[in-house]
Amino acid sequence: MMNVENVYPKVQEIIADVLVIDVADVSLNARLIADLGAESIDFLDLVFQLEKEFSIKIPRGQLEKNARGALSEEEFESGGTLTADGMVALKNYLNEVPEEHFTPNLKVNEIPMLFTVETFCKLIIAAKATQPAEAATA
Amino acid sequence: MHFLFVDRILALTPGGVTQGIKHVTPDDYYVCLDEQNRRYFVPSLVGETVGQLAAWNVMLSNDFTKRPVAGIAERATLHRPVYVGETLLLEATLDALDDSAVQYHGTARVGDEVVFELTGALGPLLPMDDFIDVDVVRAQFNELNLNLNQPDKLSDERLLRAPLNESAVDKLHHVNALVHFDRIIDHVPGVSITAEKCITRAAPYFPDHFPKKPVLPMTVLLECVMNLGRYFVDQLIFDKAYRIKCMQRIKMNDFVSPGTVLSAAMTLKSQQNGELVLSCRVSSFGKRVCLLELVMVEVREIA
Repeated sequence: MMNVENVYPKVQEIIADVLVIDVADVSLNARLIADLGAESIDFLDLVFQLEKEFSIKIPRGQLEKNARGALSEEEFESGGTLTADGMVALKNYLNEVPEEHFTPNLKVNEIPMLFTVETFCKLIIAAKATQPAEAATA
Repeated sequence: MHFLFVDRILALTPGGVTQGIKHVTPDDYYVCLDEQNRRYFVPSLVGETVGQLAAWNVMLSNDFTKRPVAGIAERATLHRPVYVGETLLLEATLDALDDSAVQYHGTARVGDEVVFELTGALGPLLPMDDFIDVDVVRAQFNELNLNLNQPDKLSDERLLRAPLNESAVDKLHHVNALVHFDRIIDHVPGVSITAEKCITRAAPYFPDHFPKKPVLPMTVLLECVMNLGRYFVDQLIFDKAYRIKCMQRIKMNDFVSPGTVLSAAMTLKSQQNGELVLSCRVSSFGKRVCLLELVMVEVREIA
């Protein structure tokens, strides 16, 4: 059974490789942008490397889509800022992120600032869980 | 000086494979001289040409609303130089395309011989209008996309060995300066080297790259890094000669505008089994601009 604990070592290694930092600097709760210095191109690189390593497909924007859950775009955000319902959905999805990192009036384009190493572990587990099922029904 | 390299698109499946050609001729601006005084197309620009071929497909597929920009490449392998008088047969395949990025790979051949390969290329897509007028790009594409038949193999020995006139020599000197760093700042032979380059608005690639947002082409920067790597290795006390096999793990983090001062720090990362790996970080005032590794392989013993 795939879980955060057994995915983490490989994710940690890939993140260190993508960001050209020491593996020891990559902890499960480290934020990619604020703590590890990731830039937007690094996210593209990271997703590409994770897709290759875990044989999964992660569509661009999948994290944001997952965070939205059952909410429509209009329910999730208004004028680029998260609604109250959107914030609840986001906190629910990113439950590994400490409460103090969710600032009031958070903008949609600021969501990647919250992503931690664990966020990507969860993304892989979710993709692994859904994609064989999708392939089976295709 | 134009920075558009595909001469003709021969076949194009939107979102799929594109084929095209580029003649390397005495009229080409971006050529260098090898040790035997043979003129060859600036090697990184073979990769630029493959990338531009892929970009035409991407832009057609999104109706010219967005254009790909340099991002990441897993590996760019340079099998041999492409000389004046030869014709590049180009092929680029889009592996994945959505509204934010493209993933592709490609090759360039001369006849049946593969001279260049690009794997794992990933480029973000940005609004076309930030870079160039949509109508200008459409007109450029329509002019290229004539679907002519593939030409006969072209390789003219007379062109390879033709004497250079003075203006051609001046041009070579100019191109040579464009694809080298301006000065070495620090050098510990066999350990590390740091070089600097100031980016001038007068550089000939800026009008095409791009009219509304001039930025240094990543491939020009890569050529500078390759030349720095050659210099670094030449200074080592080796009894072997090395050639560049490939660049790998290439990542362009930021745009480089006119007026930028670039600093490239290169170190010898590993040396084993006849292969050297040089690691290079290019930055501007401490901010990361580009990362890559240069792999050099032993080619012969020095007498």
